[in-house]
Amino acid sequence: MAAAVHKLLHPHSHGRNSSKSEPEQHSSSPHERQDSAMDRAREDEKRSLAQWEEHKRPLSPDKVASDPERKMVGHSSRVLRQDDFELVKTLGTGTFARVWLVRLSDAREADQDKVFALKILRKVDVIRLKQVEHVRNERNVLAAVAGHPFITTMVASFQNHDSLYMLLDYCPGGEVFSYLRRARRFNEPTSQFYAAEIVLILEFLHEKEGVAYRDLKPENILIDAEGHLKLVDFGFAKKVENRETYTLCGTPEYLAPEVIRNTGHGTAVDWWAFGILVYEFLVGQPPFWDQNPMKIYEQIVEGRVRFPTAMSADARDLISGLCTVDTSKRLGNIQGGAGTVKSHAWFKDIDWDALYNRRVNGPIVPHLRGPADTRNFDEYEPESDSREPYSKDMAEKWDEYFKDF
Amino acid sequence: MSLPPDYSNEISALNREILKQQPADTLQFCANFFLRRLESQRAEFLLSQQHSSPKGRGIAESSFPGSNPFGTSPSGGFASSQMHRLEEEEENDTIASPTASSFPPNAMDSSHNSPASQGTFGNFAGFGGSSKGNRSQPPSALGNLEPQSFPNNYNMNRRTSVSAESLNPASSANDNWTPPYHQKSDDQQSRLKAAVSGNFLFSHLDDDQSAQVLGALQEKPIPTKGIKVIQQGDVGDYFYVVENGSFDIYVNSSGKLEAGPDGLGNKVGTVGPGGSFGELALMYNAPRAATVVSTEQSTLWALDRVTFRRILMDSAFQRRRMYEGFLEEVPLLSSLTPYERSKIADALETKKFPSGTTIIREGDVGESFYILESGEAEVYKRGVDKAVKSYQKGDYFGELALLNDAPRAASIISTTEVKVATLGKNGFQRLLGPVEGIMRRNDPSKSAHSDGDNVDPLAK
Ligand SMILES: Nc1ncnc2c1ncn2[C@@H]1O[C@H](COP(=O)(O)OP(=O)(O)OP(=O)(O)O)[C@@H](O)[C@H]1O
Repeated sequence: MAAAVHKLLHPHSHGRNSSKSEPEQHSSSPHERQDSAMDRAREDEKRSLAQWEEHKRPLSPDKVASDPERKMVGHSSRVLRQDDFELVKTLGTGTFARVWLVRLSDAREADQDKVFALKILRKVDVIRLKQVEHVRNERNVLAAVAGHPFITTMVASFQNHDSLYMLLDYCPGGEVFSYLRRARRFNEPTSQFYAAEIVLILEFLHEKEGVAYRDLKPENILIDAEGHLKLVDFGFAKKVENRETYTLCGTPEYLAPEVIRNTGHGTAVDWWAFGILVYEFLVGQPPFWDQNPMKIYEQIVEGRVRFPTAMSADARDLISGLCTVDTSKRLGNIQGGAGTVKSHAWFKDIDWDALYNRRVNGPIVPHLRGPADTRNFDEYEPESDSREPYSKDMAEKWDEYFKDF
Repeated sequence: MSLPPDYSNEISALNREILKQQPADTLQFCANFFLRRLESQRAEFLLSQQHSSPKGRGIAESSFPGSNPFGTSPSGGFASSQMHRLEEEEENDTIASPTASSFPPNAMDSSHNSPASQGTFGNFAGFGGSSKGNRSQPPSALGNLEPQSFPNNYNMNRRTSVSAESLNPASSANDNWTPPYHQKSDDQQSRLKAAVSGNFLFSHLDDDQSAQVLGALQEKPIPTKGIKVIQQGDVGDYFYVVENGSFDIYVNSSGKLEAGPDGLGNKVGTVGPGGSFGELALMYNAPRAATVVSTEQSTLWALDRVTFRRILMDSAFQRRRMYEGFLEEVPLLSSLTPYERSKIADALETKKFPSGTTIIREGDVGESFYILESGEAEVYKRGVDKAVKSYQKGDYFGELALLNDAPRAASIISTTEVKVATLGKNGFQRLLGPVEGIMRRNDPSKSAHSDGDNVDPLAK
């Protein structure tokens, strides 16, 4: 079986433009050569992917956390391949990843409008940018948290010779970032609603999973079809549990002081960033900014937040509590954890249980023409054709590290 | 004969709402629903009229070029199923820079629009540059500010993430890394110290870290004028301090050094002895924001990011492990979980006292708990003229203060210079709650008579 899998995973075209010839991968089409057992396994897998769409619903935090083996989602698939998906449109690009809207190829009629987001990473780029560890963390954390109502669900992951794939629940509303920039800022109820959903995410990640997310910002928060949030991009997420960690990562305006000073950091960095996020929701820009990034960091380490006079006292109090340089005084990190944030006066109107179960309406429900509508996403340049090959030597050295995919 | 898709969408949204809200008055509910839809689409339309024009591009001089200029945000409508309208921007918006010293309507007009030519290092736009990736769109509309833009030129683009090479303290134990050391004269040493003292990355270092960092700076002779030490747009790994000589700083508005006579761009400043440049490279691998060229034969000191961050990491790591080890020895805290211990270790504050300091005075109300990190101290009690006990590295005292407000039962006086790690009762309780509860966990009888026995010699 393993040999058969290897044969299947190995030499097939991964180019999305089938018209472009890629000599070394063209030699054989695995379609004709595969045995039928494998074929059936793939068909089954595709069917269950299509079905998952139908009954996706939030699992309770304990269910999400406790049962990774028995969840329908988040597994590493040995049979899926890029050909099982038709690449429809680019939804976003990162430094080394491209996220596509995809449809099941050769889907049954009933499954034809089932769509997903497929995040594709080139192994070469991951290695070149020294992100191997981060990408492994990303896959493993996403697998562990799949099923949480406000985290993008990784339905499955797989790989081929030179690429890594994460099949994600498609989130058609686009980034909170876009809405925020257009509105300039959110009013209090809107900010409270989004902030509250983020609190539930952080509570879950920190207290159930021991995971620090480390890149909170409006760009990484998407809006789903019903107006609820989905956190994406777990590239810096890391299981820290009770050990501090040191690698600097995040986004300049959102970095916590202990990350800048390299004194060791943990989940408390997310509460700092959460304070920055709430500030940015309410004000339209983060509290620490300068054209020179070093000046941003200097302000952060100093940690004096200034508030516009129009900001409510409760909001100021919350943000001050979160953006506290001393982690032993930072709201969310002190005794009581996320509970101290949830019980803060600024959130007094939130029904936390109703929110988790999505019984509360989102303030912005995206206007969509159907499940595959991409109007909320920008246009992206097509992928460049020149690609550094993933050589045999590299494979020998690195494939070991990608074996979880 | 099929219904238009827009219609189906509206109806299914309405259906969802009805299911969710179960209205008593269905007709009124439907009417309200459509009115709200109309209202939010109109608001959305008006907003996009305001914003989607091409002038939305290049709002600010950007030191964080993103791939996603403002003008291309989603164009679709969004509906509001509750009554929240997105706040529209008022004419004459009064949000000024939140970091400015006050919030007058035009606070930033004066402070940030001035050209980047004050000469002091770091005052021009984003020297040190930006982050990984997405550098394809240099800020093209420099100075082309429009009335709607944020008063302090806040960059409205998508922000890219940054990360440094991964640092793993566990592996450092195996390969036994020690920072490089380059000999310097006392003079050089103190000049270097002065040169970096104003930089916040260095001002937080303790004495050991500071000595290691200064020791790691490596001399780099610049033999002649005209040498480009760093080039705008290149990735940066080193931070430099000028020992002697002089350097000019140039910024090309294209974002990188270009070929040809004007390729350097504009001269924005000069650095001489005691000056420094390229400090962003100590954070992560970012493109250089300027080109720095020698104007005569000079000498630099160079420090690379990995060495710098590793020095900080190793000392922080060792200190934390040491604290955790000490904490494990405190019987009062023996039931702490490793997670709790690491939280306390994180919160412990280091203090130094000269020889002969009374760290704790008998009879005072106890507030803090101490661990002796280095040096020695002695315990004195009233009425006894000799020290009753002496303390060394790893010994702890005053922990009963975490438990109750009883006065200190003895005085502790340092006999050498000492370093202690300390935490107050408030800090402890903020992190873990009352100590009584923690003690009760493994031995319920202990909490009943906590006044003493072998817990703390101070109590006797
Ligand atoms: N499940 C999804 N549904 C819809 N769009 C998505 C989804 N996941 C990601 N995207 C889009 O793709 C973009 C890039 O994805 P992601 O942030 O995961 O990639 P990345 O390479 O890790 O990015 P970065 O370099 O910014 O960290 C996102 O900002 C988002 O716009």
